[in-house]
Amino acid sequence: MSNTEQGVSALKGMVGETNVISDPDRLKAYSIDGLTPWAAVLPGSIEEVSRVVAFANERKLSITPRGNGTKMSWGALPRKVDLVLGMERVNRITDSDIDNLSLSVECGMPLSEMQGRLAREGKGYFIPLDPPFSSKATLGGVIATNATGPRRFSYGSARDQLLGLKVVSPNGDIVVAGGKCVKNVSGYDMTKLLIGSGGALGILCEITTRLLPLTEAAATLILPFKELEGAAKFIREIVHSKIFPAAMEVVNKAAMAGIHAESAGKAPYFVVFACENVVEAVERQITDLGASGRKAGAVDVTALKEDGHKAFWAALADFPLALRQRDPNSVGVKANVVLSKFADIVAAMEKEAKERGFDAACIAQAGNGIVQGYLSVGSGADAKAGAVADFFGKIVAEAVRYDGNCIVEAAPRAVKEKVNVWGQPRSDSIVMKRLKEKMDPADILNTGRIIA
Amino acid sequence: MEKEKMIQELAKIVGKEDVLTSEMQIRLYEYDASLIRSKPDCIVLPGSTEEVSKVVKFAHDRKIPIIARGSGTNLSGGSVLTQGGIAMLFTRMNKILEIDTENQRVVVQPGVVTLDLKGVLAKHGYVYQPDPASEKVTTLGGNLGENSGGPHCLKYGVTSNHTLGAEVVLYDGTVVNTGGKSLDNPGFDLTGVLVGSEGTLGIVTKMILRIMPNQEAVKTMMAIFNSIDDGGSTVSAIIADGIIPATLEMMDNLTIKAVEEAYKVGFPLDAAAILIIELDGLKDGMERLSERVAELCKKNNVREIRIAQNQAERDKIWAGRKGAFGAVGRLRPNYLVTDGTVPRTKLPATLKKVFEISKKYNIPIANVFHAGDGNLHPLILFDERDKDELRRVHEAAMEIMKVCVDMGGTISGEHGIGVEKLEAMHFVFTAKDLLAMNRVKKAFDPDGIFNPGKVLPPQTQAA
Repeated sequence: MSNTEQGVSALKGMVGETNVISDPDRLKAYSIDGLTPWAAVLPGSIEEVSRVVAFANERKLSITPRGNGTKMSWGALPRKVDLVLGMERVNRITDSDIDNLSLSVECGMPLSEMQGRLAREGKGYFIPLDPPFSSKATLGGVIATNATGPRRFSYGSARDQLLGLKVVSPNGDIVVAGGKCVKNVSGYDMTKLLIGSGGALGILCEITTRLLPLTEAAATLILPFKELEGAAKFIREIVHSKIFPAAMEVVNKAAMAGIHAESAGKAPYFVVFACENVVEAVERQITDLGASGRKAGAVDVTALKEDGHKAFWAALADFPLALRQRDPNSVGVKANVVLSKFADIVAAMEKEAKERGFDAACIAQAGNGIVQGYLSVGSGADAKAGAVADFFGKIVAEAVRYDGNCIVEAAPRAVKEKVNVWGQPRSDSIVMKRLKEKMDPADILNTGRIIA
Repeated sequence: MEKEKMIQELAKIVGKEDVLTSEMQIRLYEYDASLIRSKPDCIVLPGSTEEVSKVVKFAHDRKIPIIARGSGTNLSGGSVLTQGGIAMLFTRMNKILEIDTENQRVVVQPGVVTLDLKGVLAKHGYVYQPDPASEKVTTLGGNLGENSGGPHCLKYGVTSNHTLGAEVVLYDGTVVNTGGKSLDNPGFDLTGVLVGSEGTLGIVTKMILRIMPNQEAVKTMMAIFNSIDDGGSTVSAIIADGIIPATLEMMDNLTIKAVEEAYKVGFPLDAAAILIIELDGLKDGMERLSERVAELCKKNNVREIRIAQNQAERDKIWAGRKGAFGAVGRLRPNYLVTDGTVPRTKLPATLKKVFEISKKYNIPIANVFHAGDGNLHPLILFDERDKDELRRVHEAAMEIMKVCVDMGGTISGEHGIGVEKLEAMHFVFTAKDLLAMNRVKKAFDPDGIFNPGKVLPPQTQAA
């Protein structure tokens, strides 16, 4: 038996015959930036994850964790991919303490499935996270990439919502961080360190998160603007007011066409609010935001409620998913800047894309300074890679000017070969490298892909 | 290294007048707000990041322990130099460097007093949310080290939720920047792990904090109960109803009496429990929400609900709450406060256990705490000159922490592990959990010069 065959056989012993995929044809679906693993392993429990990881650590096999595969294009080109660890079977709810507003659930659980179950529980609850790929992403993938969405404006991100994590360390140890209390300073805040760590410091297996009750009322307001500047000025007025909508986004026409086609023709830019609160407060927000929007130059005000409201935000979250289905070579970048400069980034993305023959779809968390930009690349990706890399370089430079940075979230291999997907290197990367070396000395987790 | 030589070298870095060495000065820094005492070898007051870096480099080259201190209000022994060494004070590094309302951030040096920042921000219509009871004296650097909370953390989160970046001096004197004014800088969340690390990973010399516009409306209510059980059940009922007030604070009878005697804020002396409930947000709908809260109080046998009619009445209620530790401190020569946290559903059951423990050890325990967070603060009252009582106090404190863990909670919600809770870490964490934390410590501070002997139990540190 070859080494690989022996490995496959040992892994089958750990997780069961049918839960190890080694057939080359089936494995293609698990390849990362063109590198195909020699096995995909689908453990059924945290204990099984632990055994597989310990096995890999002893043999220095590289592991890439995977949920539903929406973020396999995240990160730098891997140096090595031996095993893909599919987490979809590790998906149990382990502690549902609704009255305490906390929930523990394993990481293979899709976010949308969990939200659906929570909505049906009692008066209705939700996990305050609404990241891109919401309909497909697993909790593990969302947390590992610290993916956030519009409602971050009012609810914060995973670092504000997660109370604890259970992870499998690179040596196979099952390690618990945090707990189910909303305040906890017992030892280091390992949970924060692991959120957004891209699975490079441990395999995320279970999260404990805060829950919130669904709000009494909810509505969406869409306000089209002829100029980006006008939209930005209006956002500034609202960000600094006491009106506190749940979300405030600025979306350009290219993105709106995929989110809410009936609005897309109205103007090149849109300010969109989600209002979620008690009934009286939502009514007030609709009235005030609509009136001040018109004063600020909005050419229209459209309010969506109930299903229309839900459908809008679902479509916004799934915009990159739909784009990728149309164009597997599509590129996604995420810029983070001081919140007053989001519009400068939107403008830069549009301009730099246009100059290179692309049309940038932009979705900006205007109150948070996060701008997602998407380019449709289509066929001939290799030939266009240089242009995409140049585009990215320009956006990184622009974002750095505004105290931020920009990363590539998805791109064809040819593009990744030309750029540092993590944007401009930072002074604290020396500490990140030391952390990675201490926590994963054999460098088996997501080898080469994550920042350090 | 000889002490004289050390003093000379440090004086070269920060200036002679900013190295304190007299016996009297040393004794001023041998304690914090816990029961732990130990003398530093010397005290330095750097005036800049560069000076901090040079002092750290000096300590690193000679393997001398170094502890950053703010106002010394630490409640777990975290700012006491149990192994001697250099106490670094941030008294001189107390500038608000930038108020950037446009981007809703402030940049501060760690020596800024928490309430001073708030005072300045109020003029701009902004607020920095964390509000530890001791905010009048605590420094923002100390808040970062301990991940301080406070009443409003129920709705707004603790220090870590509002700390977005830091300038940090590493173990060898290197200066790096973590996070920033913008969110989601690439890489691991080093800011997140630095907050609450009790000065054991690095020395923060600059902090970037989130600020928010003030809310439009605030409603402060005081609910008075004849039984502590009813107070606890009300807290659980409000959370379970899906209402997240801005604060949900509780005081028991011993505390109420002490506060009333000290400050005359109008608390009824015979009440078994008082809840301070504050709602904030848009004024629209707030009336109905407060009626809903009142209804839940009534369902749980509330005796009386008082609603603050103006800012003066609101301030009076809060003066009573924020002065509670001081007031209780007048009852006996010493108190030990623990800050175990439990799931909100377990509050009534946990309180019952705390009263049983008080009886069992024959020591008075006053309770004043962040009920909405499930964060207890049993103040165990005693006289440290009575050695037997002191022993019982420590046993009672350990038992309370154990109870919290058994209820599904943890040993510290906001005061930190320091020295006092080292052994209790084993209640919560396995050897493997602690080993993982130790790897983080080693990555940041391989020689163990930053605040040695804190946070991680000795067995872990040896590993």
